Amino acid sequence: MNVIIIMCAGILISKIFFPVKWKHINELMQLICTLLLIFSMGVLLGSREDFLNTITTVGFQSFLFFLFPAVCSVIAVYPLTKIFLNKKKNGKDEI
Amino acid sequence: MVYLALIALIGGIACGIAGLDNTAPVEVIVSHKDLILYILMFLVGISIGLNRGIIKKIKEYHIRIFVIPAGIIAGSLAGGVVSGLLTGLPLNESAAIASGLGWYSLSGVTLGNLAGAQAGSIAFLSNLLREIFSFFSIPLIAKKLNYPSCIAPAGATSEDTTLPMMIRYTDEETVVLSVFNGVICSAAVPFLISFCYNFF
Repeated sequence: MNVIIIMCAGILISKIFFPVKWKHINELMQLICTLLLIFSMGVLLGSREDFLNTITTVGFQSFLFFLFPAVCSVIAVYPLTKIFLNKKKNGKDEI
Repeated sequence: MVYLALIALIGGIACGIAGLDNTAPVEVIVSHKDLILYILMFLVGISIGLNRGIIKKIKEYHIRIFVIPAGIIAGSLAGGVVSGLLTGLPLNESAAIASGLGWYSLSGVTLGNLAGAQAGSIAFLSNLLREIFSFFSIPLIAKKLNYPSCIAPAGATSEDTTLPMMIRYTDEETVVLSVFNGVICSAAVPFLISFCYNFF
């Protein structure tokens, strides 16, 4: 919920006074934040005591349990977006 | 961007394994990850605000905005059942593992308590792999299918950890759909795990 509130605050700020010429700085800041978040996720994973042990013992079963749900989700969602969200391949609205 | 993300992920894992997570710069980053996420979301909000007319477009979706989380939940459960048939795990455990929707910390702990250490480990690792797979599949799905389909592999993580990739490779409208989907899926995960384990 915090995420949504903060995002709405950003929308409000941009509507009130954020200059369009700062758009590139905004994008660069987003990139830096993104990489820091991914790095911190990696640190948290690597610092788990049983991380390497878990991978070696249940690796194959886990691979199947990641692969099929993820792929089936895409298979289920793609036609739904084509039917209900009316978006073209490049994400623009259909005319 | 994908390469930078990969370098950041591997670098982070290496730091964690090497025990560098207690050194000052790494500790500062990790302990402030929520703050970094909030800053990112604020910046994303600015991007959305700069894109005129996007809120109006989101409103136009109305009830159809639920098709993405519905599709993700249905697809994940179907995939969990298929995985269960292939691995020989009971149907209820299989569906419950897939019900994590990428939320590896919660699903690992919950399944560990419900079904034992092995199911908990599989839930943890499979949902972690799903999150990592989402990172690197988003650019491909955005290019080959369409932007909203990028949300599908991300599942419950589409509002936080995989959101940065969504921001880089889709548009502001899809980012808003992604956040909405993440909220719905995250709220559904605890109920889904419990429901699937007890009633399948």
